[in-house]
Amino acid sequence: MKKTNKKKFDCAEVEKRVQAYLDNEVSDEELLMIEDHLSYCLPCDKKVEFEQKLKDIIKYKATENKYPKALEEELKKIIRGE
Amino acid sequence: MPTARQLEFESLIAPHLSSLYSTALRMTHNQNDAEDLVQDTLYKAFRAFDQYQKNTNFRAWAFRILVNTYITAYRKAIRQPQKVSYDDLEEFYLYKKLDESISLQETAKEDFLENFFEDDVKDALENLPYQFRLVVLLCDVEGFSYNEIANIIDAPLGTVMSRLYRGRKLLQRYLWSYAKKRGYVLDEKDQ
Repeated sequence: MKKTNKKKFDCAEVEKRVQAYLDNEVSDEELLMIEDHLSYCLPCDKKVEFEQKLKDIIKYKATENKYPKALEEELKKIIRGE
Repeated sequence: MPTARQLEFESLIAPHLSSLYSTALRMTHNQNDAEDLVQDTLYKAFRAFDQYQKNTNFRAWAFRILVNTYITAYRKAIRQPQKVSYDDLEEFYLYKKLDESISLQETAKEDFLENFFEDDVKDALENLPYQFRLVVLLCDVEGFSYNEIANIIDAPLGTVMSRLYRGRKLLQRYLWSYAKKRGYVLDEKDQ
């Protein structure tokens, strides 16, 4: 009988799921298998760390914290039906 | 005096003005158009507010209206998906390129990322075809889940994933080409 729970992910299987993993979109079972792989495979661990950093930088650099105050005025006008 | 319903709408949408504007700016490329897009979105959302079901995901609902408004307004300007094969876009593209680059052997690759000019990352994002740009923004910048994005852009989950993954790989290509242009790295094979 095949004991699927004893199966380990190889590098290619981790690579295939890396983006979903970084987006918290893998199943609990896959999460454990990916993290198990990353715990002993330094090359994969470094690549995944790099991808996480890139994702963080995209978020940080593409976020506008300022928006035109005119929008707040517009919103008030809209709800007043003007 | 505004009615309770009007005040409810205002209190629900006000916290999202900043992220709606941020996404609008990345999609339209300029402040005036972004402001117009958000303004139209506010009008439409207010008019459609009766259709919003209480205690459901208001933020995703508002973004869905933003995306619809964007597509309607820019239908003609939006380029059709380019008939390019993305199959050759490999995973970890940027990392592997940096790994091969002799000038970066001794420096941490993460430091390299920090050194990108703010505008490089913005430019790379803004150069992505809009379908890819939209899902990358919704996922990486706005933190929506795949299911939420599928709902916002009205597409199947598989489409969301394929656009997101391809979009990111394409983004890595753009970043690599900026890095070379700016002289951050020397890619010997390209010289």
